[in-house]
This record gives sequence, structure tokens and C-alpha cells, in this order.
Amino acid sequence: MLSEEGVKDIRRQRFLSLFVDWFVYLFTLLLIRYVFKYKIKNLKEFRREAQAALKNHQGALIWAANHLTMVDSFLIFWATTPWTSAFKDSRIPWSTPEIENYYYIGSWIKKHFIRSLMYLCRCIPISRNKLGKEGQTERQEVFDKCAWVLKEGGSVFVFPEATRARNGWFDRHHPKDFLGRLALEAPKVQFFCVYLRGESQFYSTTRPCTGETFRAYFKILPGRLDGETTPRQISTRLFNVLGDLQDRWFQEAAALKNCSGNDLIDLKASHTLEHFEEENEENTEWILRHLTDKEAAYWRTQPLEKRFLIFWKFFAAKEAASKALERSGISIPIGAFHSFETDLFINKITHRPTGAKLSIAFTDEDQDKLHCVAVFRGGAIEDDGIPGDILWSIDSLPPGENPGEYARERALYFIAESSDDIPSPASLAISVQNGLPVIYRSGQALDISLSLSHSGRYVAYSFMIS
Amino acid sequence: MAFKRKETVIEAIDLNTITPEDAESRIIAGVKKYATNEPNWSKADANTPYLGHIIGMGIESANLADITMSIERQFLTKKTRRVPIEGTNDFRLEDGELGKLRILDGQDATAATPGLSIKMLMDIGHMPKNETYLSKVVGFAYISSIGEGYRLNESIKKLISRIERLTGNEKTEAVQNLKAMLAQAKTYLTDISDSKRFAESKQKTFLSDKAAHDNLAQELVLLQDKIKGLSTSNDHERVSALNAEQAELKTRLKISSDKLRVSSEIASCAARRSPIEEAKVLEITSIISSTMAQAEKIS
Repeated sequence: MLSEEGVKDIRRQRFLSLFVDWFVYLFTLLLIRYVFKYKIKNLKEFRREAQAALKNHQGALIWAANHLTMVDSFLIFWATTPWTSAFKDSRIPWSTPEIENYYYIGSWIKKHFIRSLMYLCRCIPISRNKLGKEGQTERQEVFDKCAWVLKEGGSVFVFPEATRARNGWFDRHHPKDFLGRLALEAPKVQFFCVYLRGESQFYSTTRPCTGETFRAYFKILPGRLDGETTPRQISTRLFNVLGDLQDRWFQEAAALKNCSGNDLIDLKASHTLEHFEEENEENTEWILRHLTDKEAAYWRTQPLEKRFLIFWKFFAAKEAASKALERSGISIPIGAFHSFETDLFINKITHRPTGAKLSIAFTDEDQDKLHCVAVFRGGAIEDDGIPGDILWSIDSLPPGENPGEYARERALYFIAESSDDIPSPASLAISVQNGLPVIYRSGQALDISLSLSHSGRYVAYSFMIS
Repeated sequence: MAFKRKETVIEAIDLNTITPEDAESRIIAGVKKYATNEPNWSKADANTPYLGHIIGMGIESANLADITMSIERQFLTKKTRRVPIEGTNDFRLEDGELGKLRILDGQDATAATPGLSIKMLMDIGHMPKNETYLSKVVGFAYISSIGEGYRLNESIKKLISRIERLTGNEKTEAVQNLKAMLAQAKTYLTDISDSKRFAESKQKTFLSDKAAHDNLAQELVLLQDKIKGLSTSNDHERVSALNAEQAELKTRLKISSDKLRVSSEIASCAARRSPIEEAKVLEITSIISSTMAQAEKIS
């Protein structure tokens, strides 16, 4: 429940913001159109459809969108709202920017200018990282302010993921409850879901590249359905809708949706064991050429008997991740091992030049072999309660077979076996594009992100089914 | 100066006292251990890729660092004096006493063949530039694209031989797939045959890498602004966290610069097609065209 003082604060902020709306809109428009030269595909049509849909609902509205850059809320407001609708009090959304990202920037003058601008843009700063009771109280106050705005019939803009997606992928499998809680507080509210993304946006950045062309999709849905009693139920539905909009975006994209990779290590192959047979300067140097400083520090803290496996885990994760990123359009130079930093505790790997983060899993790990899969976008790796979107298999390499050819042949069988729609591997063909394997079915390239790997006595292959 | 490596003793030699051809022979001999395609290795020249099985030596990516270290073991250089690069933990190598060759992180990113390894050594200044030798070396942009052409050709050939054994619906579907692959091959031939078009595709990769680099630079500016904004506050914990973030971001920016250097080099090389590259392009074009002619009889 918002205090009387809180209500006064928010009324004052709303009143003052009404005076500068036109300035903010004009400023945003000039910046977007003429400085950054952003374009939205079919802008007029998209705006017309969005405004027509919004006209049917005059009550409180929660804007919910995917989050890739620090200027997303401005872009989405501009994309959906023409001049004629830009100054309607109840339709100007309140936002909850992260305090650490916006409120302590630059000199005293710059800091206060930005703070004032954010205040006039109806921002309610939130500290998502502050721990303890103080942090909880502050976050509750922000929540109460948002709930108050909605009860008054206003609009609130919230990014459901609460952070920018480092892999550029809206993850429908991990809903957060903030929006579900808000919808329970204001039962008549509707969600205005928007998925906006630039054609060359591969991962999260400060702002989109100059000249970027975006495509956007929206859907309006009820805040709460009959039978929904918990925030998680509502958030799950909302996340699924945004996930569907994302799938729609990728259907028309030149970029591939599914981006994953795999890597296999035969732990008893001579080339795998070679640099661990004796501890000397040269072998240590070879090992460190593949590890970042952080990885090397972790590797050194491990007992000697574990170092062999830990090293190959780092290596396999980097190889799998580089295949996944190459498929997304991010080029990876040969042997760029220091470009990747692996965190084996949380099973994530970061591509350091771009900051793109991938999920990894060591699917097979025994005395003989190690197999890693990495997913950048398109789906998830199987997790507690979440079904995975990636399938893989490992085979022993028969003597005399060429490992690359054998892996390709086996992959075709595996894909055919995994689908009821594919009668036999003969329906499929395998080719190569931009250095990566591609599968054809009925004359069409399938977006299934096939990845192949071989090492010593084994071959492995993986693909995505999302 | 001799370096011991298992039972083999390699006599390292000053790069300034041998010809590029001698260095190339030593490099090829040095990687024999890692080559899994013996026939390709035994007839390897300046333009034989280390990786890949069709035209390459079949060296696995797990041995990439071995190739670099093998080159380092075999040569001596005068560029041994470490000069720290301001604001980072990195250093560059300048002229000093004759000593072991050291190839720094990222310098070997385009050294995909023995010839390109020699080019790398010349570019960094470990050995004198020899334009006559370099004119015989196929650039990285062409090596990778031509390699892809051979892989594409193999895929089509395999599908043709499979189609010959199929009947009914399976054959119909396989023929549709073959048509799609022929269309892909046609696009490949159009792209590689037209040097302008080829250069444009590499320029696109460069621009994408440049945008990524600029984004990272923006992030650094923003972070520095945040540090500035917080410097007057008493939140020392946050300031020190941001300083650590800044150091990491600077490292990332350096890695990004290296990546950008690679794509810039590839883009500029793609724009200047040498006679040897033209010959290699003609070779793959003719191979694919002949496979396509064979395929068109079936489809």
C-alpha cells in the first residue's frame, strides 16, 4: 500500500511530466530518426494496428517487452505511438529503470540533468541488486507506486526479464513474478506485449547500431484470467506470449533462430593426454594459451588429478560456444580461445568481445569422453523441470572410417530417427554454409543448428528441435 | 640454441638468416606430428590449410596451439624485448637480443597455412618482407572461402552418388535437396567469381565487428561516467566493483581490437585478388561447375 507521501510524490511527478511530454517526444524523435537513423519496418501499419487495438481498451495498461539495449523503452514508445496519441496522460507509461545504470552518471551537472530528465519521463528508479531489508523496502515502494498508477487507470512499462538479455534471447522458461504480482493488484489491467528487435541485434548492447532497421510485433492480453491466483501463473502466460512473438520475429528474419554447438573430447586420445603427461614449462604454457586469467586461476587451485578434466571442460565449452556463435553471424577468429571465458559453476560462457553469454552443459562425462553442448539462442538446455530443445548423440568410430564423414552420416540417421515426419535419412541431405553444416529436407534448409564433432575414438552430433 | 622436445632435439634458427621457402619447409615438417591426412601433408605447400581433410592436412583444432608453439620452437628472432603497453598488462615485442620467437595472443589468427604463417612472421617484423614469396601466398579470405567450396563440392558429389541408389519418394526428396544444393553452389560461384561481390561480403563482416567494437567502447565510456558519478559518494564498495569492471572491460576491448584487426585484414585482402588467388578461384570454380553439370543430368 503506497503511503500518503508516496501518493503526493507520484502525483507531483505526473503533473510536472505533462509539461514536458512534447519536448521529450520531440527529443526522442530527433535522436532516433535523425541522429541514430533508426528505422522500423512497416512503421505506419504497425502503429495503426497497435493504436486500433489500444483504443478497444481504455483502462490500465502494462507494457511488457523484450530487453536488449538501454534505450528500448524510448524505441518501443516511438514505434507504437504517433504524435496524435503521444500526450494522452493515461497512455504515457511509467518506467522502472535500474538506479545503478542511470542515476550516477558523469559530473554533478550531467548526473542531475539525467536525473531530472528521468524524473520528467515518469521514471521510478529501482535498485534490483541492493540486498537486505533496506533493498526489499525500496523495491516494495516501487511496486506500490506502479500498482497505484495502474489502479488509477494509468500505464506502466516493465521489462519482464528485469535485465537485458545477454544472449539476445527472451527466455520464456524462466518467468519472473513482478508483472504477475502487479496484475493481481490491478485485476482490470491488460498487458501490451511488444517484441522489438533490430535485424543486426545479436546480443545486448548499450544502444542499437546507428542505422539499424527494426521489426516489431505486439499482442494485447488480459492481465488476469479466471482461475489464475498466483503471480507465477500470470507471468508464465505472459512470458509464453512474448516467446511466441519472438518466434514470429525470427520466422521473418534473415538470421537463424537456432544457434547451438557441440564439442567432443576423447579423454584417452594421445593428443588429449600429451600435454598432461609431465608437468613442465612447455606443457603449462600450452595449457595457459587456451585459458583466460580467471580460468587459469581457477585451474591452478584444482588438485592435480582434476586439472586434466577441468582443462578439457574449458576447451570443449569454448569450441561448442564458438560453433553456436558462428551460426548466429558473429565471426570467431581461428584459435581465439582467450575470447571466451567459462564459468563452470553456473554453466555459462561469455564471448568477451561482444559480452554475449551462452548456456553450456556437459552432457556426457566419463573416464573415456567428455561432450559439451552450448546454446546461444533458439531454446534451452534441459534443466530442472525444463525440457531441453537440444538433442545429441555420441557414437564410437568404427576402425578405418573417416571421422568427419561418419559423423555426417550418423547425424542424418539421428535426425530422421528423432522425428516422426522424416521417413528416412534419405529424405535429408547435408551441406556446408559459412563453414557450418546445414541440413536440407524437401529442398529447404532446416533451421536446426546441426553441430558435428569428432575426437579420437568417437564422433558426436547435436541439433535443436525448437 | 636447442630446445628439447621429448626425444627430438630441434635446432632453432635465426629467421633473418634463412629464406621464406626454408622457413616454410621447416614449418611443414614441424606440424607432421599433428597431421591426420598424411597424403595431403606430404604434398603440402605454402597454401595447404592446416585444418580440414579434403585439401587440408587434417590437423585438429585441439592442436592449433601446437602449430604456433612448433613454429616458436624452430626459430629465433631479434624481437625479444618486452615493452609494456600502457594501461594494460600486455606487452609488445621490440628489437633486442637474439632469442626464442614468441607469437603473441591473437597474432596467429589468420595463419591458416604455412604461407600465411610466414606472412604473419613478416608482418610482425620477425623476418624481412619478401614480396616475391608473398605473391605466391593465398590470402586468408580466399583460403577459407575456397576450403568451403571444396566441402560444398564434396557434399554435392555424395548426394549424387546416393541418389543413384534411391527409388520412389526417397529419390524425389533427394532430388529436391540436390536442386537446393545446386542453387547454393550457384550462389557460391557467383559470389567468389566476382571479386567486388566477394570483397563486399567480407566488408560486411568487418562492419559487423566494428559495430560490436564501437558498442563495447560505448560501454566503457558509460562505465567511466558511472565511476565519475560515484567518485564523490561514500559507496567505496560499489566504486571498487566498478573499477574491477572497468579493468575487465578494457581487456575485452583489447580482444575486440584484435578481432577487428583480423576482419579488417580479411576485408582488405579480399578486395585485392592476386594472380595466385585468381588461379585458385578458377580451380574451385571449374571443379564445382563440373560437379554441377553432372548433378543437373540427374535433377
